[in-house]
Amino acid sequence: MSRRAEQLLEIADDELILGWRDSEWTGIAPTLEEDVAFSSIAQNEIGHARALYELASRDLGTTADALAFDRSPEEYRSAPLVELRRLDWARTIARHWLYETADELRLSELKSSDDAELAGLAAKMDREEVYHRMHAQMWADRLRGDERFEAALDELWPYALGVLAPEQRPAFADRVGREQVDAVERGEHSDELRELWNEMTMVRRSIPGATW
Amino acid sequence: MDARTQEFVEYVQGGGQVETGDWMPDEYRAKLIKFIEMHGNSELMGVLPEREWILRAPTLQRKLALTAKVQDEVGHSQLIYRVVEDLGKPRSQCLQDLVDGRSKFHNVFHYPTKTWGDVGVIAWLVDAAAIISQKALLKCSYAPYARIMKKICWEESFHILHGRDVILTLMNGKDEQRALVQEAVDRWWGPLMTFHGTAIPADEDPMVFWRIKSQGNEEARQQFLDGYVPQIWELGLTVPDQELRKNDDGVWEYSEPDWDELKRVVTGHGPMTAERLEFRRRFLEQEAWVREVVLTEAA
Repeated sequence: MSRRAEQLLEIADDELILGWRDSEWTGIAPTLEEDVAFSSIAQNEIGHARALYELASRDLGTTADALAFDRSPEEYRSAPLVELRRLDWARTIARHWLYETADELRLSELKSSDDAELAGLAAKMDREEVYHRMHAQMWADRLRGDERFEAALDELWPYALGVLAPEQRPAFADRVGREQVDAVERGEHSDELRELWNEMTMVRRSIPGATW
Repeated sequence: MDARTQEFVEYVQGGGQVETGDWMPDEYRAKLIKFIEMHGNSELMGVLPEREWILRAPTLQRKLALTAKVQDEVGHSQLIYRVVEDLGKPRSQCLQDLVDGRSKFHNVFHYPTKTWGDVGVIAWLVDAAAIISQKALLKCSYAPYARIMKKICWEESFHILHGRDVILTLMNGKDEQRALVQEAVDRWWGPLMTFHGTAIPADEDPMVFWRIKSQGNEEARQQFLDGYVPQIWELGLTVPDQELRKNDDGVWEYSEPDWDELKRVVTGHGPMTAERLEFRRRFLEQEAWVREVVLTEAA
C-alpha cells in the first residue's frame, strides 16, 4: 500500500470511528441542543471519512463502503483515542477538544501538501472543522477547572498524542499547554473497537453480497 | 361556562387562532400542555427505537441519512418543548415527568426495533401515520404550535422518502431482505392500526372541541389506509389482516384493532416502555451536572 493510501486510511478511520462514537449521543445528550449539535458533528466526520475513503478507494481498486465496513478490525488504522467508548460528557468533551486541536495541526500540514487532491480535500474538511473547534473550545472553556473534565484530560492525553505523527507532537503539547508523555500509538486495537465493529457491520454481514 | 370563555370557544371553533400572550381559559391551557407535551415526548422517545440502528446502518449513505433523520426528531422535540415552555411548563419538568412515567408518549415508540427492516418500516409507515396527524395540526387553534408544524411536516415528508428508499432497496434485493420487510410490516401493523386512537366521534373529543385537533381519529386512519395500503400491496407485500378491504363507498374495512393493547401500552406497560424510560433516565441523571454548569454560567 502506498504511503498516500495509508495516510488517507489513517485519517478516514479516525473520522469514521469518532463519527460513530459521537452518534452514540443521539437521544441522550445532556441537553437537546447538544444532542442536535453532536449529531451534526457526527455527520460531518462521517462525511469526511467517506470523501477520504473515496480518494483511497481509487488507489486501492475498491469502494468507500468496502473500506469502511468490509475490513477486519485489525486492518483499521484508527488511533486508540477515537476507539474508546466514553459515554459521559466530561470525557466526550475532553476527547472532542483534544482531537479537534490535533486535527487542526494535521489538516494544516495536509493543506500545504504537494498532492493537490489531498490538499483540496483537507481545505474542504477544514471549513467544517472550524465549527467543531469553536464548539469544542466553548465547552473546554466552560468545563475548565471542573475535576471531572481535568481528570478526563489527564486520562486521554497519552491517547490524543497518538493521533499525530511524532514530529507534530511538540506543537500539539504546546497548543494544549501540556507536557509530552508516552503516546498510545496506532496499531494496537482495543476491545472497544472490536465491539464497535461487531455492531457497525452487523446488518451488512447478516446477508453477504446484498445491496443496502 | 362564563361569558368570556363562551366567547373564546366560539372564536376558536370558528377558526380563530390564539397567540402565547392572549388570554385563554385555564382548561384550554391545560389541554394544550397535555397534548403538546405528549407530542414532544413522542418525538424524543421516538429517537430511541432508531438510535441503536444508527450504529448498525449498513452503508455510509444510510448511516448519514439515518443520523440526519433521527437528528430531526430531536430537533422537533426541542421546538415542541419550547411551545410547552411558553405555555408555562418548563422543559426540565417535562423531561422529569416523562422519565417518572407521569406523562405519556405515543404507542408506536413502546415497541422493539428488531431488524433493519423495522428501520425502513418505521421511517416509511410510522412517519406516514404521524404526518397525517401532524398535517391536521397545521390548523390548530394555538398559532405557535401550528407554525412549528410547518417545519416538522416538511422534514417528516423527507423521512418518508428515506424510509421508502430503504424499503425499495430491500424489496429489490435478496429473498432474505424481502423477508425482513414482510416480517417488519407484520410486526408493526397492529401498532399502526391503533396509532390514531379509537374511533371516538369528533364532537365527543375534547381536543376537537377546543380545535387543538381538527381531524377525527377514524378520519386519520382512513387517510393512512388509503394512502399506504395500495403502496404496500404494489411492492408485493401483504398486510396481516384478512378483513382489510376498500368498500365501494371508498371506506376501508378492517378487523377490530386491539384497543386493550393500546391502553396497556400508552399507560406505560408496552414491551419496551420500562427499559427505554430507564435508559433515558440514566442519562438525564448522569449528565445533570452539565446542565448545572451551563445554568450557573448563564446566571
